[in-house]
Order: sequence, then C-alpha cells, then structure tokens
Amino acid sequence: MNNHVRALRGEHAWSQADLAERLDVSRQTVNAIETGKYDPSLPLAFKIAKLFGASIETIFIPGEE
Amino acid sequence: MRAVHKRYLRELLSSTAGYVLLMILYGVFMRRLDSVPLRVGLALLPLLPILLMIRAMVRVLRDQDELERRIDLEAFAIAAMLTGFGFFTFGLIIQADADWHVSGAAVAIWVMPCLFATFGLAKLFVAWRYRGHE
Repeated sequence: MNNHVRALRGEHAWSQADLAERLDVSRQTVNAIETGKYDPSLPLAFKIAKLFGASIETIFIPGEE
Repeated sequence: MRAVHKRYLRELLSSTAGYVLLMILYGVFMRRLDSVPLRVGLALLPLLPILLMIRAMVRVLRDQDELERRIDLEAFAIAAMLTGFGFFTFGLIIQADADWHVSGAAVAIWVMPCLFATFGLAKLFVAWRYRGHE
C-alpha cells in the first residue's frame, strides 16, 4: 500500500520524531509507514487521517495485489 | 527513548541486579548447606527475579506501539521455533550415542538463555526487515 504520509508531514514541516510524538508511536513506526514497509492498523490510519485533517482514502492508496 | 521503554529498561535492570545477587548467594551458600529443603529453596530463589523479567517483557509487549509489538511477536515466534529445533537436534545427536556427555540439568538450564539470545538475534533481523530507507 502506498501513502502520502511523508508529503503531508513535509507540508507541516514536522520531523519523523515530531509526527511520532503526535501519534504516540515510535519514530521507527513512522519511518516504516512512510517507506511502505508497514501498513498501519485501521485505528492508527484513522489517527493519521485525523491529524492531517484528511480522509483515509486520500492518504493511503491501495496497491495492486 | 519512549516512556514505555524507559520503564522496561528500569524494570529489566533491577530484576537483573536481583538475579545476579541471588546467583552470588547461590554460589556462596549452596556447598555449605546440608539441608535438602534449604538447598532447593536457595536454588529456586533466582526464579523470582526471572519472573519479574518476564513480567517486564510482557508489559512492554502490551504497551509499545503496534509495529514494535509486531516485531517482538515475530521475533518471539522465530526464537521459539529455532530454540526448539536446536534442542531437538541436540537431543537426537545425544540419542545417537555421539559420545557427548551433557547432564540433563545443564540442558534444561540452558533452554531459557538460548531462547532469550535467539530472541535478541531474531529481533535484530525482523527490525531490519521493517527498516526503510531514510
């Protein structure tokens, strides 16, 4: 699954550590989500969407299976 | 370091210190005790800090974030399978009369350290797989 988390974080001029703190997760988790190594759970995806004021489907793009 | 990991480190260090202390007591007094119940009690005392270590590990597993938990659980699964496989292999070799002289007590005592060590190595591997390019 692809996502726009890195771009959105850049727009807010937040570091990965800043975003991690706001989401109450580790920086490692933010990095894994941004690089597509890890797809977040639905609750975390909702939390990310709420933080950026966007809907889940505009942030996360399902890849082809 | 996040608060959950600071707490884990604090709990792990204090229980490890307790374990070391009790093992020193074990080494000093075991040969001097004649009473079997006292010897058994002394031998089992180090289990208390080990239980505290397990508690600390369970607490950090439950309280860390979802990716950290996933990494730990994958590492635990790999470690459990590899350790079981390793000891099973070892048992088969001994069964084949390979002229290895190992006491049953030593084998049983080494299960947990091997499991912890394998977990550490497995965790490095699993965490590396989830690490993206910065």
